[in-house]
Amino acid sequence: MPPSIHPVDLVATLRQRNLTPAIIFLTSRRACDEAMQSFERSQVTLPKAQQEQIARVLAQVTEQFPSIAEHPLIETVQRIGVAAHHAGHLPSWKIAVEELMRTGSLDAVFATTTLAAGVDFPARTVVVTQSSIRKARDFTDLTASEIQQLAGRAGRRGKDLVGFAVITPSPYIDLTVLTKGLTGQPEAIHSQFVISYPMVLNLLKAHPREQIQSILAKSFAQFQLNQRTAVLETKLDSLRAEMEPFGPRVCSDWITQWQVFEQARKRKKPRSPFARQESPDVAARLHFLTPGRVVGVTRGRGIILRQYRSKGQHAPMVTLLREGGSLNECPASIVTQVFDRTFDCEETSVYPWCTPQTLEQLTHHLTDLPPRLPILPILTHQHEEAPIDSSIIQTLGDFACPTCPSRQACQRDFPRASRVRQEIQRHIKSIQALQTSLWHRFQERIDVLERFGYLNANAQLTADGEWARLIRIDHSLLITELIRAEAFGAIDPPLLAAVMASIAHDDDRPGSFPRGSAGLVTLLFQVRKLAESLTPHEAPPMLRADVAALTERWVSDQTLTWIGLARLTTMAEGDMFRLFARTIEFLSQLKTLKATHPSLAESADHAIAAMRRGVLEELP
Amino acid sequence: MNTHELEQLLMQQPVSLLHRLARGRISRHFRSGKRKLVDLLLQASAENRPGLESDLQTLIEERAHRPQPAHIEKTRSAQARPRPAPTAASRPHKTDDHSHHEPPVSLHEWLSGIGVPPPQPFIPDAWQVDALAKLAETDVVVSVPTGSGKTYVAIEATKRAIQENRTVIYTSPLKALSNTKFTEFSRVFGPGQVGILTGDRREHSQAPLLIMTTEILRNLLYDAAGGEIDVRLDTLGLVIMDESQYLADPERGVVWEETLIFCPSQARLLLLSASIGNPQDIADWLTAIRPTPCSLIRHTKRSVPLRAGYLHPNEKLTPLFRTAGIPYGQPHLLHPEAKRLFMEYEEETGPSRSR
Ligand SMILES: Nc1ncnc2c1ncn2[C@@H]1O[C@H](COP(=O)(O)OP(=O)(O)O)[C@@H](O)[C@H]1O
Repeated sequence: MPPSIHPVDLVATLRQRNLTPAIIFLTSRRACDEAMQSFERSQVTLPKAQQEQIARVLAQVTEQFPSIAEHPLIETVQRIGVAAHHAGHLPSWKIAVEELMRTGSLDAVFATTTLAAGVDFPARTVVVTQSSIRKARDFTDLTASEIQQLAGRAGRRGKDLVGFAVITPSPYIDLTVLTKGLTGQPEAIHSQFVISYPMVLNLLKAHPREQIQSILAKSFAQFQLNQRTAVLETKLDSLRAEMEPFGPRVCSDWITQWQVFEQARKRKKPRSPFARQESPDVAARLHFLTPGRVVGVTRGRGIILRQYRSKGQHAPMVTLLREGGSLNECPASIVTQVFDRTFDCEETSVYPWCTPQTLEQLTHHLTDLPPRLPILPILTHQHEEAPIDSSIIQTLGDFACPTCPSRQACQRDFPRASRVRQEIQRHIKSIQALQTSLWHRFQERIDVLERFGYLNANAQLTADGEWARLIRIDHSLLITELIRAEAFGAIDPPLLAAVMASIAHDDDRPGSFPRGSAGLVTLLFQVRKLAESLTPHEAPPMLRADVAALTERWVSDQTLTWIGLARLTTMAEGDMFRLFARTIEFLSQLKTLKATHPSLAESADHAIAAMRRGVLEELP
Repeated sequence: MNTHELEQLLMQQPVSLLHRLARGRISRHFRSGKRKLVDLLLQASAENRPGLESDLQTLIEERAHRPQPAHIEKTRSAQARPRPAPTAASRPHKTDDHSHHEPPVSLHEWLSGIGVPPPQPFIPDAWQVDALAKLAETDVVVSVPTGSGKTYVAIEATKRAIQENRTVIYTSPLKALSNTKFTEFSRVFGPGQVGILTGDRREHSQAPLLIMTTEILRNLLYDAAGGEIDVRLDTLGLVIMDESQYLADPERGVVWEETLIFCPSQARLLLLSASIGNPQDIADWLTAIRPTPCSLIRHTKRSVPLRAGYLHPNEKLTPLFRTAGIPYGQPHLLHPEAKRLFMEYEEETGPSRSR
């Protein structure tokens, strides 16, 4: 969303109030570019002296980074003293803008709010136009830390007596988020520890399995889990204190005794007709049995089309699309697994509960699904008392309770005592989970690596594990499996670079691209198949064929210039640069396999050398 | 927890907690009232029920253990003073009453004092001196606002280490920042004294000060543990990690943890971070896992004071708060003019908002 004030007016106001230089944070690259365009039509021109200063600084930076000279906005920037700085630009251009700001030559810079773009230069004023930020397809409110990071750029030490953070609204802005962020405390940070395959291999290379638990215990993750444990332990202590008056009575475990007695008594009473009595397992699953969800049943798999309750028993039911296309009405309990996979389902109110198109699509999806799907972990909350085996009730025969002297006390205290006892058990379980969760996750990884043959049964590295541990990037399992499947047999550098690019690139911005070679298409098909089969163990990369083709072109055609390449695609130069830089990083990991995979390492080396030219050579 | 119980639990929570829970789950949740928010959350829970429940528990627990706002205000005002002397006068509710009675700051006053300070001889701040002194004895975590002067601490600490014939590794989260620092440090220490390692490029990899991304350092440490030493780690005297708040980055934070866990014990650690909420936790954690204790250097006062303003689309500028500076802990102290203009804006753009 662009700000509601016109960018030219915004900069004019800032100039007039002596609030320049300013960094103006906008929601998107497009908003920044459009803001720049709106200046092209404006009459504003800078005084000669300032124009000359900009030219001087630019000339200086261009000496080091020649690609700046080709930037289309140079003239506008010089004329109006305003520039844009975002991830769509080449790093060299961003360096130029930073240098211009550092020397005080510009009045304003439009930048995107993503600090990942590396806005690391200060100004007198920072302008904020939004209160939320796009993160993974959804808008989330800015946190106090983020707001303070933005505002932190205002006020240059040694150059300003005061700094200013100015809010100017755009649609959907929430002023409270910003005022709270400005006046509040930055959020506490939380560990984001994840256990990756390379981590497991590298740890097991240097330490025996028995030592791993103590290494994991050194993580910040465990430190924070311990803090939570401490809180739970305090609660547990107070619960235990609460439990004291409910110690042994006539029978030592009177709570269980009374519970059994109560149940036996209730058993004689007729059940209320509409009591929902599904097991906790089924109840927990019900929330996930939504139209479009893929589930496992005893024989095969299916997709849920609707969920309802049966008329008479009021039992939970589902309509299930089975492999082969048949529709079944079955009790929800038939579902044995809920998979982490849903498809779009356009629902209707009559049989077959979705549109014919959806039905057709889903039938296709169902046959095309990979053999293994990630299972959705579902927490079952056993809040209800565990049902008691009827055999116990029978063997107990006559209860002592009705005539017991403690009966009244038991009857009175039972609800509270049993609640506290449940709480205690729940806390003990949670504490155990907090103490062992990292180790469990590590063990899960060990199991997978053992199944694939990177570790032996004693969790020691196999020959394959020895080299696989050197691949320390995202999607490492896919890459090492591709190497083992000899997908890269005697591969040409352009093809290798292209595949690595499709694995490395994690941006879904659409665009137009050149076509890939037939060899690339075939190879990517194989890679995709392997990636799908690994889905239960590693999330597959995007594997975009278009960015792969672009990389292939750059590596195979050494006469192609950067500008020439940029003409072949709508991808922004900054994105192209990042794609290639990341690809080089991935390739250089393959280079480390020289000892075990000499021809692959050599191919990677050639690919890197071929990629490093023009703009890619400018930066260290 | 069944749906009914979840609903009840949600209804018992304050709206602010519900909004935090809704972050990333519901778009534009701040437009919803409590009832609607609970409904939306229940709907969204179909996606990942266990996740929602566990986040909810965490938030409830966090709330129960968070210091009260009054307490925050007290520490803030105490830190702003050279000598913390909590007297009755610094009590938050008094300040509160006080500011309400003061007339709101005028635009003129708010804009006054803009300008360039006269050049002054460089005198290190107390916190900078303190950080360097502590670093002689312990590892150090620095958590100060952006623009305070963390680079000075990094440079001085590096000078000392080099004087003692020790090597220094400086890590930054982004390649672009590594490049900037490489240029900056080469200017300070002389070109041959600074090396850079990124991806597969290495320049002056035997220089006493090496700049690299955190991933590269992590890989070096793994190689060293596996027995293949690449860069000499035995003479390593100091590891400086810039932008340490990246520890909380969802994708890359784990690399900071791995690096800190495996950082050689003979090397001092200097963690430089923007202001974060729990820097003491980081220092306590490092103290727990490393042979030397870790000190925390923290302050919240910005070196250049900040003022906040509101600019209406019709180019009218007004202070955002009643006070010229930021009223920490009191977000509701809006300037009446900013309040009025923003309400006007909301009314004018209102209809377009309902998607
Ligand atoms: N003690 C000091 N007195 C005056 N200026 C200082 C002092 N310390 C740092 N500066 C200046 O403050 C500015 C910001 O410092 P920098 O190290 O970039 O901040 P950050 O904490 O964000 O890394 C620099 O221009 C630096 O020269």
